[in-house]
Amino acid sequence: MHFADNRSKIGKYIPAVVFLIFIYGMALWFLFSPKTDYSSSEKRYLQKFPEVNAEKLLSGEFGSEFETFFADQFPQRNTWVGLNAYTALAEGNNGASGVYNCKNGYLINKPVSTDNNLDKNISAVADFAKSIDAPTTVMLVPSTGYIVDDVLPTFHDKYNDDEDISKISSTLSKDKIGFVDLRERFKSEYKNGSQLYYKTDHHWTTKGAYTGYQELCKALGVTPIDDSTLKKDSYPNFYGTTYSSSGFWLTPPDNIEIWSNPNNSSKNISVKITEGSNVKTSGSMYFTDHLKEDDKYPVFIDGNHALTEITNTNAKNGTILLIKDSFSHSLAPFLAENYSKVVLVDLRYYKESVSQLVSTYNPEQVVVLYGIDNLATDTDIVWLK
Amino acid sequence: MVFSSLVFLFAYLPITLLAYYLVPRQGRNIFLFIVNLIFYGWGEPKLVLLMVFNIFFNYIGGWLVDKYRADAKKKKLFLILTCILDIGILAVFKYTGMITETLNMLPFLNIPELKISLPIGISFYTFQTMSYVIDVYRDDAPVSKNFINFGTYVALFPQLIAGPIVRYRDVAEQLVNRRETLEMFTKGVKLFMVGLAKKVIIANTMGTLTTNIFATTDENGVVGTWVGMIAYTFQIYFDFSGYSDMACGLGNMLGFEFLKNFNYPYIAKSITDFWRRWHISLSTWFKEYVYIPLGGNRKGVKRQILNLLIVWGLTGLWHGAAYNFVLWGLYYGLLLILEKFVLKKFLDKLPSFVQHIYTLFIVIIGWGLFYFTDVGQLGEFMVDLFNFGNGICGDQAFNLIMSNLPMLIIAAIASTPLATMIYTRFEHTRFMWIPETLYCIGVLAVSTAGLVNQSYNPFLYFRF
Repeated sequence: MHFADNRSKIGKYIPAVVFLIFIYGMALWFLFSPKTDYSSSEKRYLQKFPEVNAEKLLSGEFGSEFETFFADQFPQRNTWVGLNAYTALAEGNNGASGVYNCKNGYLINKPVSTDNNLDKNISAVADFAKSIDAPTTVMLVPSTGYIVDDVLPTFHDKYNDDEDISKISSTLSKDKIGFVDLRERFKSEYKNGSQLYYKTDHHWTTKGAYTGYQELCKALGVTPIDDSTLKKDSYPNFYGTTYSSSGFWLTPPDNIEIWSNPNNSSKNISVKITEGSNVKTSGSMYFTDHLKEDDKYPVFIDGNHALTEITNTNAKNGTILLIKDSFSHSLAPFLAENYSKVVLVDLRYYKESVSQLVSTYNPEQVVVLYGIDNLATDTDIVWLK
Repeated sequence: MVFSSLVFLFAYLPITLLAYYLVPRQGRNIFLFIVNLIFYGWGEPKLVLLMVFNIFFNYIGGWLVDKYRADAKKKKLFLILTCILDIGILAVFKYTGMITETLNMLPFLNIPELKISLPIGISFYTFQTMSYVIDVYRDDAPVSKNFINFGTYVALFPQLIAGPIVRYRDVAEQLVNRRETLEMFTKGVKLFMVGLAKKVIIANTMGTLTTNIFATTDENGVVGTWVGMIAYTFQIYFDFSGYSDMACGLGNMLGFEFLKNFNYPYIAKSITDFWRRWHISLSTWFKEYVYIPLGGNRKGVKRQILNLLIVWGLTGLWHGAAYNFVLWGLYYGLLLILEKFVLKKFLDKLPSFVQHIYTLFIVIIGWGLFYFTDVGQLGEFMVDLFNFGNGICGDQAFNLIMSNLPMLIIAAIASTPLATMIYTRFEHTRFMWIPETLYCIGVLAVSTAGLVNQSYNPFLYFRF
């Protein structure tokens, strides 16, 4: 049975009117909204209005650049991205854009693919360690999802830290290279209520870095500085990488803590950052300008640089050289309490020979320190020489 | 340009609609012709020339066929010349790679590979223009006296890229004489919204699920493999029929009425039934312009079987320049022959749920032939479908299935006429516009979000 046509005379056209308002509204909004050059949540430059010339028009390049421009400059872009992320959740998904939406406000990266570079990278590290005179120790930070496993969504992929770490430690022990296994200590610390990882970022917290530092000291035979002697400052509103890549904008921010030694000052501390021929120096390991940004992690030694050298004239031991990713940034200030010189090399940016550096600095210890996910996906370590 | 893109929805469409309704009626076709060319040339401007050339010679072809309608020989000659040119261009641009690859299998040949990129929509517009010339030849359609009107028909942007394949005779009258009404416009908007939802919400989700499941083929287990292919079955239907719905909806907005291209193919009770419901404009084309001219079923059973195999081999080849598509076409050809001559009697007696399962089983396996272009992978897939040695369901596949379960269920329900049945019952009630409007807002918001998200690429390993 069908109802007779009782549609309201104006009402029946409303869907079309709404459609027109929507497309014309967005079109006009696009036309008059200010265009931006840089997206801080994506950390990349956005497409500007493409150059118009005959060649670009005929090759179709103008068309594709215009599409990128249109999408990059779309009004309220981040709002739409957020709507998309939460729609995915509503559709029953466990996350969005490679990030799980977890309990207690955690946004955690999905496990890296099992088809990765871990074996290749570890053997590159082992080969390098054998080729230098200084003793080498490897320490890997377990993935967040492996340690903080009780908050993960019901259906999630497996984190392979156990398989990976046992494989790595057996490879390294064959070559008599030291390996610091953080799994047990981290699990028990987490069970005792410590927050070792940020909720909105893939890094470890200052507490996590300190715990890693303690374990590293044990392996290196030095005494870690007692954290009760450190001054602990907390800064709110830290929005990290898993926050900005997922689009779950309703997630509350993290606090970021700085644990500093009150006795340090520019009298005994100096930091030298080298990027190609560019050198800058500072009297502090903390670059507090970055606390004004959403992503505050670069507060530690100014974030990623090719070569960073921390000197502490109060420390007793000699030089330690770290081959590292960004996990080391929050740990390095602690190491500087023990070693008068902490040298950090980032292979993503440093393209010279590292063994050359080793013979220049003549460190008493070399440490390879990576987050295990980063090590699995890294494509630069294989060039280590 | 595709419909499901920000540039189309928020730049091309608003500008085109506004200008279309501002232009006086007699100028609307030439306006459409021009914007069609912009739409088509957006990504690959040079290929506009190829399409214009195609429009041009088919227009001339139709004119010559009409001019010599009294002279059977000449009339036939011009028809054949036009068709050869049509098929020749299609062959060069679509099948050169496949042909050279095949010839190079001969040990003494080594033809250098030519890289010709496939012009979008060429398979669709070539079939449209051929239908025109053949229809003029058969007196099924009037000759087009107006080049602009003919060009507008061939390049009409709603159906240019992915069909439906509109026959000239079905729109000849509308090209000259159409009345755009608010009623029709609203109908078009609603249809467009249905298509957009099918494409952006269902098909894209199913596509991601398929890709993720088949990223690791060896650990999925039997259930994982099946669900992966079922997701692809959904993806291909919602993608394609969504695109057709959007095309018909846009046609309505401009005052055109196109024939329906899909009619709930997954509720078919036999393969014969399935092909009456799937991509109707293509099956109709092959039936009218290949099968019937070959003699159809009028020249004995042997000839009929041969004709069916030819038609289905070509149907497969039309879908893509690779042998797995030919295989896919012949697979359906053989099954249709089997149904026609043997199975039909038995099938009709079976309970209808068995008929549904039988049809879906064949269709899903068929999409396997379609999906795996590599013969080795295809073989592995066929084994995985039935080999319990690999386990019931891999961990990763299980997680993927569970987190996509609601969408899989929605896709299954949306494959049936249930929603349409409910809708048509209440369509004319007084307050139906409220759910309709809410639906439009929802689809627009979620689709825009999905499209914007595609461009959101955090560059996180730089500058942090």
